[in-house]
Amino acid sequence: MVSNELKRGTAELAILSVLERQPLHGYEISRRIELDSCGALRFTLAALYPLLYRIENRRWVRGEWEITDTGRRRCYKLLPRGRKMLVPLRAQWADLFRAMRRVARVNHA
Amino acid sequence: MPDWLAYVNGHLGRLPLSETESSQVREELAAHLEDAYLSLLAQGFSETNAARLVCDQVPSWQQLHRDILAAKSEAFMQNRVSQLWVPGLVTLTGSAALLAVFEFAGWRPMVIPPHGPYSFVIYFPWLFCLPLFGALGAYLSLRARAHGLAVHCAALFPALVMAASLFAILLVALVLTDRRPLGVVAAGFGVFMLNWFLLPGFFLLLGDLLLQLVMKRRLASN
Repeated sequence: MVSNELKRGTAELAILSVLERQPLHGYEISRRIELDSCGALRFTLAALYPLLYRIENRRWVRGEWEITDTGRRRCYKLLPRGRKMLVPLRAQWADLFRAMRRVARVNHA
Repeated sequence: MPDWLAYVNGHLGRLPLSETESSQVREELAAHLEDAYLSLLAQGFSETNAARLVCDQVPSWQQLHRDILAAKSEAFMQNRVSQLWVPGLVTLTGSAALLAVFEFAGWRPMVIPPHGPYSFVIYFPWLFCLPLFGALGAYLSLRARAHGLAVHCAALFPALVMAASLFAILLVALVLTDRRPLGVVAAGFGVFMLNWFLLPGFFLLLGDLLLQLVMKRRLASN
């Protein structure tokens, strides 16, 4: 299980990465992250929305209301600025994992 | 099915946001809870258990309230920069630079009366150019989706800065300098305020209002 601190740090990268594939609404974002991480990363409502609003303010993503089968949902789409941010975020996390492998002698599972 | 919007309204408390923004946040959170609830039902959970698990997604509504406001206030700060500070500084820099150009070109101000302890120093050509800067400040602010007071503040920024500076100088003068009669200080302050706040402010506001009028008319005609 991944610690909470590390989860917070991965949150932005996780959200941007799933939105890179397709626009999703809030609940779908949390489900997709949970499924893709095999349950290691779980975003509750309380964790997800403040972060979504923050990255929306930074214009990394844009939320737009859409009518879906279950009603009106706010769908988030990755913006060019967010796509651009993915590159350094991924590089930072790759650096961190390399460093941790060296320091803690942790190998990929 | 539980009324998730009523549940959110009952727990989240009043958000100090605009009516639209606040209702959108509530609707979005309610939609998330509804989706989570339906998903749990589809997985075979009973209605009671599904509702309990969904409610557990928010351990503290007060904390969520604070977190949402913190996220939204970050936007407020960003907006304040683009809607007020940047247009205001552009207006201030432009008007100050123009005054310096006039000075450099040798255009002398009109001094009324020419001799005396309190004279009005009026740069007419500069004052007549100020509506352009007022309009520029208002335009930049409006372009950043500002409205109301923020637009006027951006347009009047040079006059407001001058007024604030004059108040600061007045306070320092009252504290530090030798005690002059209050009437003398007040008269000097009044003359400075007229020269550097009221007159420039009037011309800047003129440009601001004219621009807003033109933009409103254009919008109406479109």
